[in-house]
Amino acid sequence: MTAPTAIRTCALHRDFVVTPKDEGLLASFRNLFWPRQETLQAVRGLDLEIQAGEMVGFLGPNGAGKTTTLKMLSGLIPPTSGTIEVAGHQPFHREAAFLNQISLVMGQKQNLWWDLPPAETLAIHREIYGLSAEEFRQRRDELVEMLEIGPCLTIQARKLSLGQRMRCELATALLHRPGILFLDEPTIGLDILMQKRIRTFLLDYHARFGTTVLLTSHYMDDVAALTRRVIVINRGRKVFDGPLTALTARARPERILTVTFQAVPAGFSPENLGRVQEQEGPRFRIIIARERAPEIAAHLYATGAVSDLTLEEPPLEEAMADLFAGDATPGPESSSTPDRA
Amino acid sequence: MITSPEALRGPPGPTPTSPPPETPPGPVAWVVRATRRRWRIGSRLVSANWQMALGYRGMLLVDSFRAMLNPLVLVLAWLSVTRQAGGEFSDGDYLLYYLALPVVTKVSECWTVFTLSEEIRTGTLNRHLLKPLHPLWFHVAEHLTQKILQLLHLVPVVATLAWAVGPRLPALDLSWPRLVVMGAALALATILRFTMTTTIAMTGFWIERVENLNLVLNAAIFALMGGMVVPLETLPSWMRWVTDFLPYRYTLSFPLEILRGRITPGQAAGGFGVGAMWCLAWFVVGQRLWRRGLLAYTAHGG
Repeated sequence: MTAPTAIRTCALHRDFVVTPKDEGLLASFRNLFWPRQETLQAVRGLDLEIQAGEMVGFLGPNGAGKTTTLKMLSGLIPPTSGTIEVAGHQPFHREAAFLNQISLVMGQKQNLWWDLPPAETLAIHREIYGLSAEEFRQRRDELVEMLEIGPCLTIQARKLSLGQRMRCELATALLHRPGILFLDEPTIGLDILMQKRIRTFLLDYHARFGTTVLLTSHYMDDVAALTRRVIVINRGRKVFDGPLTALTARARPERILTVTFQAVPAGFSPENLGRVQEQEGPRFRIIIARERAPEIAAHLYATGAVSDLTLEEPPLEEAMADLFAGDATPGPESSSTPDRA
Repeated sequence: MITSPEALRGPPGPTPTSPPPETPPGPVAWVVRATRRRWRIGSRLVSANWQMALGYRGMLLVDSFRAMLNPLVLVLAWLSVTRQAGGEFSDGDYLLYYLALPVVTKVSECWTVFTLSEEIRTGTLNRHLLKPLHPLWFHVAEHLTQKILQLLHLVPVVATLAWAVGPRLPALDLSWPRLVVMGAALALATILRFTMTTTIAMTGFWIERVENLNLVLNAAIFALMGGMVVPLETLPSWMRWVTDFLPYRYTLSFPLEILRGRITPGQAAGGFGVGAMWCLAWFVVGQRLWRRGLLAYTAHGG
């Protein structure tokens, strides 16, 4: 049985009107009397369908339209055209029944009251979301344990470290146990250890509650660790939607073979296998065609001289960079409409 | 598509126990429940604001003295002027007026034009928009807290000054009915100032800096037409007629006129009527601006 659809968008489009200003005093005067307005197309014809319980990576370069999409999905801004349904609601109507089912985490100052300890923010959220004393106690204790934030609860939010604040932010965002969680760069600015803790928590939380998660991140480790399906957008358009492995296969149709010989066989010519990336004594690192990987591995083992052989996917960062570079053809991103007011 | 929260959770986790289906409450039960919920949220928000404000005790004290400073300067100036020019306002009237003025100003004061417009401009409004509670509740709670705290600092200062100049003050009728009407006028002043200022703040959805518009609509004119710079009773009769129809009188001067027993019950009733109509007008305009503003809101930052 397939899970029901949690998020669905059809031909989603969002424009922003901006008034650019050239450099200098003259330009300022010109702008005062004859402002030039430009329409920026942040999201263009985006179709999304995400099933309940999925954890999906939402990727794209800066300015691709990820955050704008999240803001539309969470009801902060309306679309210019197209339709959205999240949890059966049209987000921009911002009905209480909808807001009770979602949470959006953007940075570390979304929910926490800056001058108060997180325990107080949690208590405020309890009232806002109408949780009973028992529900509140149980959920708070659960989140405190999972996120290991016990000692931070009584310290003013502004005095917490970035990592502590992020974990408290997550606890606050999840207190009402939303069915859908939008995460915008949840590990940004955190050190590697803290990034790992946040990822472990998110995996654990998702496994426990099956929450639908849409995650944007520039850290490919986040994406690789948390999601199986990724949606990639560039310049407001969807350029990929599928499994993570298919993304790397499409962007980089190669694999990295690293072979170490006990003694290099006579007549071994790595150039015949692919592009040699690195050679150090009997150790070769070669970029090979993906479809030839099994055949090449078998051939090398057949020499009987192999002491170690590994096959790796190309780094996700490189795959993404290739994908964006391939999609970098200039499109009708903005249309200039001089406006004399 | 699905609508229930539990259905949004996919197969990985155990299914949380669903609450038993509830029968929809009747209208009375619904109102009781909604009121109770608002009360609980409001108390929690006020409590949170108290905790924050208590961290800035020094600032509160300075603010109370600041609140007294303007009226003190004005009363000294007017006492000097009236001694030379005469007029129907006695020294005692001026003293009473400018002693009570800071208290009424503090009660009716509203600063959403700075806080709400800042939230709109910087995108910090996002955090409130994502919660199942109207964003203005956060501002109402903050105002309630700050006003109570500021009055706690201000009233003893005013009382001490009143005691010091006591013999020069005119006799006051502080009967219960008058105090009740005075309380109602203060409530009207507070609601009117809040709806007016918040509506102006909502223009922040379109205007980058709302403060200038506020200076025109709500600061300079308010100071004159509200009775801040000069008691309205001392204005020429044509100006007093104008002030009767503008909202400013009802945000400041009106409660003071009732305190001093300067208006008849009929005039008071008329004042309440005009003030209530202004409240309604600003509320309706505010609602429209809010709805249209959210359509224009870009949620940048935050």
